[in-house]
Amino acid sequence: MGRVGFSSSRFRLSRDARLGLMLTLPVALIMGGLVFLPLLSTLFDSLYRVEPMKPGNPFVGLKNYATLMGDGTVTTAWGNTATYVVLAVAIETIGGLGMALLLNAITVGRRWLLAIMVLPWCLPPVVNAIIWMWIYNPSYGPLNGILMAMGIIDAPQVWFNDRETGLFLVSLVHAWRMMPLTAIILFAALQSIPEELYEAARLDGAGPLHRLRKITLPLIAPGLTIALSQSTVFAVNLFDEAWVLNGASMDTRSVIIQVYVTAFQNLKFSLGMALSVLAMVVSLAVSAIYVLRVYRETRFE
Amino acid sequence: MSARQVKRQLRRVGLGLGAAVLVLWSLAPIYWSFLTSITPPSGLVSEGLRLWPEAPSGEHFAKLFGATSLSQGNEVQSVWPQFSAAFANSLIISLLATVLTVILAAFGAWAFVRLPFPGKNVLFIAVVATLAIPAYTVMIPLYRLMIAAGLIDTYAGVTLIYVSAFLPLALWLMRSVYQAMPLSLEEAAWLDGASKLRAFVQVVLPLAGPGLVACGILTFLSAWGQFMVPLVFSPTLATKPLTVLIPEFVTRNYVDYGLMNAAGMVAIVPPMILVLFLNRFLVQGLMAGAGK
Repeated sequence: MGRVGFSSSRFRLSRDARLGLMLTLPVALIMGGLVFLPLLSTLFDSLYRVEPMKPGNPFVGLKNYATLMGDGTVTTAWGNTATYVVLAVAIETIGGLGMALLLNAITVGRRWLLAIMVLPWCLPPVVNAIIWMWIYNPSYGPLNGILMAMGIIDAPQVWFNDRETGLFLVSLVHAWRMMPLTAIILFAALQSIPEELYEAARLDGAGPLHRLRKITLPLIAPGLTIALSQSTVFAVNLFDEAWVLNGASMDTRSVIIQVYVTAFQNLKFSLGMALSVLAMVVSLAVSAIYVLRVYRETRFE
Repeated sequence: MSARQVKRQLRRVGLGLGAAVLVLWSLAPIYWSFLTSITPPSGLVSEGLRLWPEAPSGEHFAKLFGATSLSQGNEVQSVWPQFSAAFANSLIISLLATVLTVILAAFGAWAFVRLPFPGKNVLFIAVVATLAIPAYTVMIPLYRLMIAAGLIDTYAGVTLIYVSAFLPLALWLMRSVYQAMPLSLEEAAWLDGASKLRAFVQVVLPLAGPGLVACGILTFLSAWGQFMVPLVFSPTLATKPLTVLIPEFVTRNYVDYGLMNAAGMVAIVPPMILVLFLNRFLVQGLMAGAGK
């Protein structure tokens, strides 16, 4: 029995393997052709001079990277992106945690509250940016109107005249869109905490803040890690909001806008590729935690 | 009332307030944009903060949908030809990308979960890892590739790029759907003599319906909102989607906020419909995709 079973299961294995390869072949082809090959090409070509307006593609070593290091525009763009990451991740995490706790506590009409909450995330980022561009409008926007009615400012402000304000306002639009994702990740984590833990803590006389610190936060830590890494990756990749709200302006230009301008407006392909490699390294470094989790999980099987 | 009851009442008031803030935060900006889209141009300048315009008007929408239109007293060419073409492009590309992605993910993820084949883990990890790679890292070589293949500004080209961008998340999601299903379902079908593929198609796939719907919604929303990719790969109205067309209304002589908000309101109709009718699947999908 053992021998026969063994050989027949071996036979089935190879048939299964063929089926598995067949079903994942399109995935491998599409990802290989449109992601992995271009990725390799980016890595290699960033060491050459690739510019459509200049003949030949000479090897230049790390010259593109050196050029980027010495370029003040690029440094400014990095500074802007760093600001976006800090502001957006902070706003999304604090606001998202608040939303998640609220949703976890509310049971009546939760489904619709979730739907309303997730709506900003579902809309095209460009439309979100336009909605907020009008809110920020110096002459007719409600932001000036509300702040003036509250007596915080006494004259309408041209918000994007000030670099720090501009960076904050772009971050706010981005956070408005991305916060629901953080909230949902944290809400999913909250839902998995058994109610008995709270009951026990309550019996021990632990107050709400104490329960939040001692039970909730430690138990949603894995969710929080995922939420933090995804919001960081998205903030590093911020493009749409800054581009629609303020174009290529240096005040709000993110690294990805810098890549776009370098490659597709100044037609310096290899310089853009070198910068996008750096952006990828940063993005990968901060999301390494996330990828490691995936790796660990798949290895166990 | 006992102290306990007071506390409970306070909690309810607090939760109610929190819910109100949440609703206001999420909807107020959208509502303001909607108000703008139905406020006549003169009202945009004169009216301050209000909940409903003094004299609602369809002027901005008429400009979008009319054959000809008036702008500051002069007859100007309507934006309808461009707008309708862009709307159709958005719809066609998003639907194509959604169908392709869902099919590839439905079969691929099942293979990753249930079938042993060489290179399985390497391929899966590599594909999921691309979630962390910024789209712009591959954009420039992809641009050269698409030009060489003659696929720039074609439905096929843009759709393929979308599929490559949204497939990792779809695979990740469908994998968690299949993992949650007991193997015994399929085994029963094998005992009846069905092949593995047949058992999958007839038994597993129908049960995976909600997951497939969630997958489809997520892909459609991502494709519908995509801006960077078409900005590079859809230079003309042959494939230019709404997201690229609408901001171009700025580059005219002045910024036509009424028109932009009206166009924005039209562009958010499909996502709104999805959220309104399929929010259960959407939220479940997001939780499944994220909660791992």
